[in-house]
Amino acid sequence: MMLGKKKKNIPKKYVAIIIIILVIVILVIFSFTLRDDKKLNPVESFIRDITIYAEKIITYPFNYLSNKIDDYNDLKSVSKDNDILETSIDRIDSIEAENIELRRQLEKMKEELNIDYTLSDYEYLNATVVSRNVGYWYNTITIDKGSYNGVEKDMVVINAKGLIGRVIRVTTFSSDVRLITTSDTNNKISVHLTNGDYDLYGLINNYDYDDNYLEVEGISNTKDVNVGDFVYTSGLGGVFPSGILIGSVTEISTDSYDLAKIIKVTPSADFTDINYVSILKRKSSEE
Amino acid sequence: MIVSIIYLLFSFILEGFMSNIFSSTLSNISIFSTIYTVVAIVVIYPYFVNEKKFFLLIGIFGFLFDVVYTSTFPLNLIIFLLIGLVVKLLNSLFQDNILMCSLISLLCIITYHVVTFIVLIIVKYADYNVMLLFNIIIHSLLTTLIYTIISYFIFKFIFSKFNLKQVK
Repeated sequence: MMLGKKKKNIPKKYVAIIIIILVIVILVIFSFTLRDDKKLNPVESFIRDITIYAEKIITYPFNYLSNKIDDYNDLKSVSKDNDILETSIDRIDSIEAENIELRRQLEKMKEELNIDYTLSDYEYLNATVVSRNVGYWYNTITIDKGSYNGVEKDMVVINAKGLIGRVIRVTTFSSDVRLITTSDTNNKISVHLTNGDYDLYGLINNYDYDDNYLEVEGISNTKDVNVGDFVYTSGLGGVFPSGILIGSVTEISTDSYDLAKIIKVTPSADFTDINYVSILKRKSSEE
Repeated sequence: MIVSIIYLLFSFILEGFMSNIFSSTLSNISIFSTIYTVVAIVVIYPYFVNEKKFFLLIGIFGFLFDVVYTSTFPLNLIIFLLIGLVVKLLNSLFQDNILMCSLISLLCIITYHVVTFIVLIIVKYADYNVMLLFNIIIHSLLTTLIYTIISYFIFKFIFSKFNLKQVK
């Protein structure tokens, strides 16, 4: 006698229900795992560190060659740069004197107000970019400094030209940095505009991927903003220290209710050419 | 099997390497942008008789992609397995030749980006629009095609030169 197993056929409507439930469960899982505050477990952290170091070794000769080519190209423009620098060298002494005076005044004010630190007190930690935006959708870069070097989540990352982003994930020897050019509605950056006479405050609301500009909203219509004004972080919100250059105003328009101004800001940093960055570690009040 | 693993590993490392050489951001997408590991999945499929081993391999690389590059486990693991199913389905419909292999590669890259886009929009990861999706896909096409063609011929050559058999 044959004792073959009877194959049970699940009705099609149940298959559809099972698939729908499965999709919903997977989406719920994603909504937890795709959050910035998700911590990597030790296994993930270990695999990531090992692979990033292996990749760093593989790419080293190519990066070295690329740096040498860049150096050579820079060398060609040295004479031109030298002429520009010579014209501004006379101003350095006066700027230096002004800086010393401002620092002295700041220290005095801190003493009088009995505060130990300001929003602009921070120290630098230099890092190299080891991987950039693989997968294309996440708008992140990976740097070669991690918790071992004192990097923590939400630390601010800049380069010579301005603000780059903030640290969203840290492993022992590497960190992920979310670029400011991400339309992330959950993490708005408070900004400060200055045109000499007024101090204006607003929020970065959006990033336009097609035209490469940040949209700043929440600025009162009564105040004057001019094209070319510089935009800095305000230090409000607790994540970004104050005074970090974000970019400059390129266009000004009014919102659909004619109540507030929408300001288009072109970022000062070139996000396609980030090789080295600095992580800002805000000084604690004890230091 | 070992040739497939080496090729997948090579493609996987190439992701990070190419991102370093041809930097790409969402506002400035490089034409050298594609998901090399996804192309590798398409190229290796005809050399597997044992599908369990094939899906196990792409599951491992999906997991590695999540952990090393995107920190989005298990998003890419699931997308890679889904792409494995798409590859299986399309290979059962079409013959194994360079034209079909290229077409399947393009379809898989489109699948990868469309699924990622939909998931990221649903979970409100960021505020993306359809034009961005279109841009990323358009910029991926050329490199996908080139990498598929090169890989296809190298794979054919290695298998015929060393008289290798399909993975059982």
